[in-house]
Amino acid sequence: MKNCIEVKNLVKEYKTVRAIDDLTFEVHEGEILGLLGPNGSGKSTTINCILSLLNFSKGSIKIFGKKMDVNAYEIKRNIGVVFQDVSVFEELNVIDNIDYFCGLYIKDKKLRKTYIEDAIALVGLENYKKFYPKQLSGGLLRRLNIACGIAHKPKLIFLDEPTVAVDPQSRNNILDGIEKLREEGATIVYTTHYMEEVEILCDRVIILDKGKIIASGTCDALKTLANIEEKVTVEVLDLPPKVLEKIKEFKNVEEVSYLDNILFITYKKGKNNLSELMEFLKEKRVNYNKIFSERPTLNDVFLELTGKELRD
Amino acid sequence: MIVFKTFLKVLNKCKAPIILYTIILVFFAGFNTKTSEQGNEFTASKPDIVIVCEDKVEGITKNLVEYLSKNSNIKEIENNEEKRNDALFYRDVNYIVYIPKNFRSDFLEHQNPQIAIKSTGDYQASLANMLLERYLNVANTYLEFDFTEEEMIDKLQETLETKVSVEMTSKLDTDSLYKVSTYYNFTNYCILAGSIYVICLILSSFKNEKVLKRTIISSLNYQKYNRILLASNSLFAFVLWFFYILLSFVLFGSVMWSLHGAFYILNSFVFSLFALTLAFFLGNIIKNKNALNGIINVIALGSSFLCGAFVPMEWLPNTVLNLAHILPSYYFIKSNELIKTIEVFDFASLKSIYLNMIIIVIFAIGFMILSSIFTSKKRKLA
Repeated sequence: MKNCIEVKNLVKEYKTVRAIDDLTFEVHEGEILGLLGPNGSGKSTTINCILSLLNFSKGSIKIFGKKMDVNAYEIKRNIGVVFQDVSVFEELNVIDNIDYFCGLYIKDKKLRKTYIEDAIALVGLENYKKFYPKQLSGGLLRRLNIACGIAHKPKLIFLDEPTVAVDPQSRNNILDGIEKLREEGATIVYTTHYMEEVEILCDRVIILDKGKIIASGTCDALKTLANIEEKVTVEVLDLPPKVLEKIKEFKNVEEVSYLDNILFITYKKGKNNLSELMEFLKEKRVNYNKIFSERPTLNDVFLELTGKELRD
Repeated sequence: MIVFKTFLKVLNKCKAPIILYTIILVFFAGFNTKTSEQGNEFTASKPDIVIVCEDKVEGITKNLVEYLSKNSNIKEIENNEEKRNDALFYRDVNYIVYIPKNFRSDFLEHQNPQIAIKSTGDYQASLANMLLERYLNVANTYLEFDFTEEEMIDKLQETLETKVSVEMTSKLDTDSLYKVSTYYNFTNYCILAGSIYVICLILSSFKNEKVLKRTIISSLNYQKYNRILLASNSLFAFVLWFFYILLSFVLFGSVMWSLHGAFYILNSFVFSLFALTLAFFLGNIIKNKNALNGIINVIALGSSFLCGAFVPMEWLPNTVLNLAHILPSYYFIKSNELIKTIEVFDFASLKSIYLNMIIIVIFAIGFMILSSIFTSKKRKLA
């Protein structure tokens, strides 16, 4: 598989702090790579270094097989960036804003017009073309921010936490848009601390902590690192202590807790754990309201590897 | 092209404050020009006098009284010396002439009769004294000839009514040049405030950290981007300068078509170059749009007051003028003041003006270098 980005032994130091510590990774053509990590883990710094917005102390960065630097305009032609902060002109309406940022790459007016329409359709801003940024809600502003970053149809797109502080409707719209970009063949680097988004979108994930890669791979592969197979949650109004003790003795059970009428069981491995539990509760005549099972999340992986939650 | 197009769109969004600002500036410029009369025209004034005549009012005495009455305001005061002294004290009259008894006969008999006077000693009193002395001097001159009294009175009237036509040897239209100079001094404020306000407002949008980041990572050459921005702002500065030049042609007409006018235009053009580079530098370093008004007040208003844009330079204390030497506005205004006094346009008279222009250009180059250092540093975050 062809590499779109190659980062080797990247180090970024600020006087006494090492923000990025010897990062080495590749981004394959056509994939969505998730950069996952808590705030301050080095996600945005990594992106800024790749884009030559920041100087770095050591290492090398190649994009499309060529060395990336501030004057690499040929490489920049094929890059689109959506920053965490909304970066638009307050004085321009939706169309003019997209036109400006698209115009930095595309000179042909007719082609640009088509691209602008495509970008507006992609983020669902058809009804807001003449609106000015201050007239848009937070979610719509984020959509405009994305449209400005991708309107020139780049091959490589960096999306830096594009869904922060966005309403559910806009979030779904943004995620749909990113799926469409992937279908059109774009390579995407997606940074976030929302695990659900990573699981929905990303082909591969790199988990960062304190500027280091602590794990990487597909979501399924990473979940095996969590050392658990299943988590079961049961809402039980009255659970006799004897029953609780029996559950703790179940095969494959890693951990059991009962707090505020919620029974929480973690299984290391095994199959049919949920049906066995339901039969046992029926046999012991324990009534429950809700019961559900879930697979380990990337947060569990992060917890397993670092001993802390992703959102700490 | 997209950068220039967007520049115009952002400029268009700034039009309300720009128009409002320009109207205020034009109003003040017009008002200042209309009210700045130099006051170098001669207006004859008449002193207030009292004539106490103890002689019979006939012959030469009558002629003297008529002459004084014609050239001054005769005040009616009660025939009482105390009242006359009071009138003098309270400046109700400037001058009292006492024509003695037998003045006519004594004068005709060459006995040189003395005319007593009382005066407030001010300018109006001097004028009255001048009138009296002039009359007596001319009368004494004609007395030397063998004219009859009637002939002498005719000659006296003819001589005293003669008016001299005075022609100025200087061809300078000083009044018009004074007004033009005042107008161009005032443009110091208009050009500085207008350039800084608009250019900083536009650059604060283009150089907004977030927007700039997106521009830097784009495929548009960053140096080219800055050059386009500088060219766009230069165009605006040129239009602003041209507007003030046009306004000066509307206000002063023919004077502006002279060499004096050409030098006023050249001087203001050089100053506009400086204003552009200063505004471009400030636009690159100012991040907060709300700080703009304060900055305009400090720079444009401050330098205008210190360098004599609103108040003539000669009225300013030396300490202020010494301080003003570090400001380009000083050299701009100084040149305007020099241009209005030039009689002959040769190197000697223009040397100081050229020198002032060179100093302003050096300031402009300095700010240009600072801007380019700052913009190249801004390209990388750290």
